[in-house]
Amino acid sequence: MKRIFTFFFTLSIFAMNFAMAQNTKLTGKVVSADDGQPLPGVSVSIQGTKQGVLSDGDGNFTLTASVGQVLAFSYVGFTGQQITIPAGALPVIKLKSDNHMLSDVVIKDSYGTQAKKTYTGSAGVVKGAENENKPFSTFQQALQGEIAGVNVQINSGQPGALNQVRIRGINSITSAAAAQPLYVIDGMIVNGGADLTQRAGGTLSPLAGINNNDIENITVLKDAAATAIYGSRGSNGVIVINTKRGKSGKTEVRFDAEGGISSNLPLPDAGKPLTPDQYRSMFNEAFVNSGQYTAAQITALGTSYGLNSAGNNWYDLVTKRGSQQQYNVSVNGGNEKTRIFTSAGYFTQDATVLKSYLKRITGTLNLDHTVSKSFSIATNLNVSSINQNAPLQGSAYYSSPLASAYFLRPFQLGYNADGSINSSVTGNANFPTSSNSNPLYIAAHDVRGINNVRLLGAQTIKWNIWDQLKYTGYASMDYQTNEETSFLNAQMGDARSLNGSGTSQYSRYANWLVRNQLDYRYNIHGVEDFYVDASVGYEAQKSAGYLNTAYATGYPLTQPTLTAVGNAATPATASESTSNYTFDALYARANINYKNRYSLSGSFRRDGGSRFGTDKQYGSFYSVGGAWNIDGEDFFKKQNILTTAKIRSSYGTTGNANALANYQWRPTAGYGFNYNSANGQAYNTVGNPSLTWESSKKFDIGVDFGFFNDRLLFNVDYYNNKVDGLIQLVNIPWESGFGATQTSQAQNVGALQNKGWEFTVKGVPVKTKDFSWNVNLNAAYNANRMTKLAQNNQVNGNYWLANNYDYYTYYTRAYAGVNPANGNALWYTDAGRTSTTTNYSAAARVPYGHADPKITSGFSNTFNYKGIILALDFYGNFGNRISDSWSYYLNDGTYITGANKYQYTWLNRWTTPGQVTDVPKNVYGGGSSSNSSSGSTRFLYYGDYIRLKNVSLGYDLKNLDVVKKCGISKLYLYARATNLWTKTYDKRLPFDPEVPINGYNTEDIPQIRTITIGLNVGF
Amino acid sequence: MKFNKLLYILLAGTATLTACKKSFLDEQPSTSVTVTESIKTTNDLADAVNGMYNVMKATTLFGRDIPVLGDLLADNTYVNVTNSGRYLLENNYQFISTTTEPSNIYSRAYFSILQANRIIYEGKKLPASDDNNQLIGEAYASRGLLYLELVNWFGAPYTVNPTASGVPIVTTPSYVSGFSVKTPRATVSAVYTQIVSDLDSAYAIMPTGGTSFHAINSDYIAKYAAKAIESRAYLYKGDYANALTAAKLVVDNGQYTLAQNASAFTGFWANPAAQTGKLETIFELNQNASSNLGNTGLDAIFSQAGYGDIQATDDLYSAYTATDLRRTLMVSGLRGGQQAWIINKFPNYSNTDKDETKIIRYAEVLVTLAESYARTGDEANAKIYLNQLAKVRDPSFAGYTSTGAQLITDILNERRKELAFEGLRFFDFTRLNLVINRPKQAYGYVSYPTVSISDYHRILPIPQSARDANSALTQNPGY
Repeated sequence: MKRIFTFFFTLSIFAMNFAMAQNTKLTGKVVSADDGQPLPGVSVSIQGTKQGVLSDGDGNFTLTASVGQVLAFSYVGFTGQQITIPAGALPVIKLKSDNHMLSDVVIKDSYGTQAKKTYTGSAGVVKGAENENKPFSTFQQALQGEIAGVNVQINSGQPGALNQVRIRGINSITSAAAAQPLYVIDGMIVNGGADLTQRAGGTLSPLAGINNNDIENITVLKDAAATAIYGSRGSNGVIVINTKRGKSGKTEVRFDAEGGISSNLPLPDAGKPLTPDQYRSMFNEAFVNSGQYTAAQITALGTSYGLNSAGNNWYDLVTKRGSQQQYNVSVNGGNEKTRIFTSAGYFTQDATVLKSYLKRITGTLNLDHTVSKSFSIATNLNVSSINQNAPLQGSAYYSSPLASAYFLRPFQLGYNADGSINSSVTGNANFPTSSNSNPLYIAAHDVRGINNVRLLGAQTIKWNIWDQLKYTGYASMDYQTNEETSFLNAQMGDARSLNGSGTSQYSRYANWLVRNQLDYRYNIHGVEDFYVDASVGYEAQKSAGYLNTAYATGYPLTQPTLTAVGNAATPATASESTSNYTFDALYARANINYKNRYSLSGSFRRDGGSRFGTDKQYGSFYSVGGAWNIDGEDFFKKQNILTTAKIRSSYGTTGNANALANYQWRPTAGYGFNYNSANGQAYNTVGNPSLTWESSKKFDIGVDFGFFNDRLLFNVDYYNNKVDGLIQLVNIPWESGFGATQTSQAQNVGALQNKGWEFTVKGVPVKTKDFSWNVNLNAAYNANRMTKLAQNNQVNGNYWLANNYDYYTYYTRAYAGVNPANGNALWYTDAGRTSTTTNYSAAARVPYGHADPKITSGFSNTFNYKGIILALDFYGNFGNRISDSWSYYLNDGTYITGANKYQYTWLNRWTTPGQVTDVPKNVYGGGSSSNSSSGSTRFLYYGDYIRLKNVSLGYDLKNLDVVKKCGISKLYLYARATNLWTKTYDKRLPFDPEVPINGYNTEDIPQIRTITIGLNVGF
Repeated sequence: MKFNKLLYILLAGTATLTACKKSFLDEQPSTSVTVTESIKTTNDLADAVNGMYNVMKATTLFGRDIPVLGDLLADNTYVNVTNSGRYLLENNYQFISTTTEPSNIYSRAYFSILQANRIIYEGKKLPASDDNNQLIGEAYASRGLLYLELVNWFGAPYTVNPTASGVPIVTTPSYVSGFSVKTPRATVSAVYTQIVSDLDSAYAIMPTGGTSFHAINSDYIAKYAAKAIESRAYLYKGDYANALTAAKLVVDNGQYTLAQNASAFTGFWANPAAQTGKLETIFELNQNASSNLGNTGLDAIFSQAGYGDIQATDDLYSAYTATDLRRTLMVSGLRGGQQAWIINKFPNYSNTDKDETKIIRYAEVLVTLAESYARTGDEANAKIYLNQLAKVRDPSFAGYTSTGAQLITDILNERRKELAFEGLRFFDFTRLNLVINRPKQAYGYVSYPTVSISDYHRILPIPQSARDANSALTQNPGY
């Protein structure tokens, strides 16, 4: 009821203002000529007078003038324009940008469009055009390196995999999903940060259905002024995707095609598996060195392990050449009243590992229609259909193809002599244990597919109630279904002991959001160019997840096509559950802008959520920000080095609701505790009615400079994020019932801090008649440290969890190298490294390095010489250590019979007294170094690398006569290569340096290199 | 002005949505219910009792850890040199305050007590009825049983020091009392008071004939099952007069019977299902085809088709006569290529329906009664009940005729032979404060041959992590 009053009160204020408004007035609209997007903050003045206004968030302006007067439009980065006021309605003013790089003149989020000039927040914008046609299966892959402070880890080469994105460091430690940013598509807050399903070993990003070619721009919101409006979900930063919209004028038809091949990224020399000959030598040497075996025994062992055969190269057997294709067609056109953008796309990518692929069909229809002077509607519709197959990946799985390449001995033969796939499970030359399977057989018999269909639709209604007051109604639905089939064969692999297993899963997520918003613009009376833009709105969202699973074991052994669950002998699991959440928010935002020179902003959001415990179900979040465009000052005009200069700063609070699982706070009695075939319930979820969002206090200060008529823009930001109330499981008194055997209570107890600097240089440093060079160089430095923990100084798996340490600080024994006298491995017994020991258990564990990078950097260049365009995009990652989940098995001779080994360990092993090396003597069983390959600083490699992510070279043939005659306005032919070159800084590193954020390589599906040729045709 | 009308409608709509009911944020999970709303009917109460039994039958409690340790720490079993790495610290008497099994027993017992507390707390809010009384009684009896386990594992024997620290007594569910309550350890004597009180409460309210929810069936605690557990509690307490009374009530009124011949005996142990005719078992936890411990149960640690780590000692095997039916529950087999006495008391490991987890059997009540008579001076009656058991187990046996200390020894030996592999042997040593002589086995993992009466290992350590969470918890001496 109180809220109703608030609305009527607000309404009455608007009404009074209406009564004072003038009658003789003009209204108009300013848009960008390039993309038809409205331009806010354009200065509109009547020549010869001091009268003038600034356009609002939709590019609209209103002013009092008479026919025949001249209106002048000016806007930074755009060529000015003048028109004489005609009798009747003003035409739409289209401003042309005066260079190519200043596309990010507006920041468009769910709640409106703001001019970058007066924006007080920190946000980065990437134009969609930059990433069109790139052979990346998800937009996050393309985003890597494009915006300072956005760390994208392409941790799996599985096409469509969920990439780990961290904005300004790791801001939540509850889970990987809890640290992902919030994703917004055309105003809709989507489910985008967590893997679609809980399917072990598989990964499909819920946003894999987004086609890069449909993206107008991606805006990354980083600080409080930018994210606090998203309230309890803004703390990890927000990635806003705005899709392309139609523009009036000539209808443009585009056709893009790109295709080519994909191949393996070359393995580092240190990490190539041993050849059969090398393995045989290492095997024999290890047994000889052990001193426990006679020559005859070693020969017999060798025979039993099949060492007399030619062997095979598993890495070559499990990898292959893949292919890559995409086709996109789009139509963009319309008139002042109705505009349309529609597209269709097909994308297919094969990874270079057996049975790893993605096929995607996408379609988009975006409509804008002006119903009348005061009404307009907009419709967004995006559909996608994905078919992905992903082998079980990561070394936790026996059938993971890349893990097999290392874990299988070269003398376990993939093929029988007759060319058929070896399925024998007896004898050491075959696959006798379930932890040792023939990946070729697995690839031929297992199915691990997912079909994902997504429908993302939104409808917007705008009503200009009167000049200053506007209503926006918005409703959106994000609807996804996933059908998953997983079949593991009975003969070998992870389900051998179960005689085969099959899982059928269906999940559906229906996520809707409605929003009602009023925008009010107030020109402070008597003060020229002094505006207040205020918005107030209400938003409600509900995501309803429905999941069911059928799992059964015991499949017919020799009926490979009968993979459906119904064929199994033993039904094991049938489950159905829902996973819902709701949010309910009231929000407001205001900007005060004086002459585009000084601006102040404030935002407020009151958020309620179903994930929050009843004791703290509603929270308030706010931000304040200010910006000073120094270039508006008179004294600034006395120098001519800088063309623009701006200082901005903000402070505010946001939250992280993604650290909470649905229903987690509820103390509940679960069913399924059945007894004697009767229903049973037990109080098994402790719950915590005080459990609530993790809260973040963000401070940001930044400066933006423009040189050479803004051809070069420099940007520096400093930030300090303090996250409080981190959710951790707390050891509560066991007598409560929730001790070691139960999941403990989650509480908001921890705290951490991310501080850092971001630098960006963007622009066109060189521009002549025939040649131009476009550059985007950015770098971000981040320091993460824990400041409060449920339990300080504790071992957290492989890491050391303690105050003032980075969250991912390794905790391991310090390797002291190899004793040159006898080849034994040595470790330090203490953190001070004063003495060494050959006894691994006696060595001290110490905090050492950390997994998350200190610096991430991107360097993109586009060179254009007479229409020949060369693009080069580099990505760099520095200041972290990375490790290997299975170093234990893949190094040294201790477990020579258990797995193949890395080249480095063979080539650098200690062999002669006096030899200085870091690889101990090759001894089966390890001798006095039996734990030599157990985790230690020896296996913490430098994670620094620079990668040439993308290079393309092309030429536009549009000027050829024959092309022109066909009415073709663009005919661009190019060749492209991705991941062509990678520079690493550790010669011992045996794997690709791009690993998950936790620093551990798990022999996942590797990234690929693609070589493609492409064609863009425009009509 | 139709626009104005529209405006009002829109604003009204906005306001309505804004005034969205609180229920919009009230999302309920689909596989669980809010704990305070979980028991509203007798049917809910029965579900909760089932849930409690399900929790109790876990590997970390009665399902494996308790019965294994009860024999392994004494002289009935050992871990073979060929093993899967389980129970080595207990086999070697090397357990410390962070060792897994004591930690799990402590944690899981309180988790089970939480379920019992909840049933009692919520059940009392329901109208009194036979059905409700039966169910609440089962929770009381279970709680008594759980505290009896806790105090015997983690506290000094009552017979040695009744004022020593026992375990914390919690009788209110934690969602009512709060999760941060740091309850200190009560004395052993206070814990026994609670145990007797719980078992008396159960006995008092439970209907004799069971109810439609839980007909007399060994999978559920019946009225005389509560009394049977009480007889054990009094025996452990050294209160033989009360042990006698309790056991006598069960024998006279419980209508339980022993298997009367070899085929009935063999059939009884081979049967994985619950007893409906009051044969042998008074209470056991159900492990049926649809809900069992898979390869982590007691059967799996004994069966050579499972982990098969633990075998019977030669010393135990030789305690039986050749005609003793109970000797057939051990078979000579090979472990790591060497002869071993493979325990076959729970033979259904390879079946989908597994052996029920035995908690208390009629035979135990008989030997408890015999011991109570003997210790209260009525040797004639002691021998009557002892021989009732001994003669039926060994058809060739003429019966005990001993007196005095020998009679007590005979009773204890009979108790050992009858209850082997059911996890009770250790407590016969601790309650009587006897040195444990653990026979050396040729292929036993490591030997710790003598556990003197001053050995601190006779009481398990309070888990370190439980002490981290509850600063009021003191540690047992020696750890």
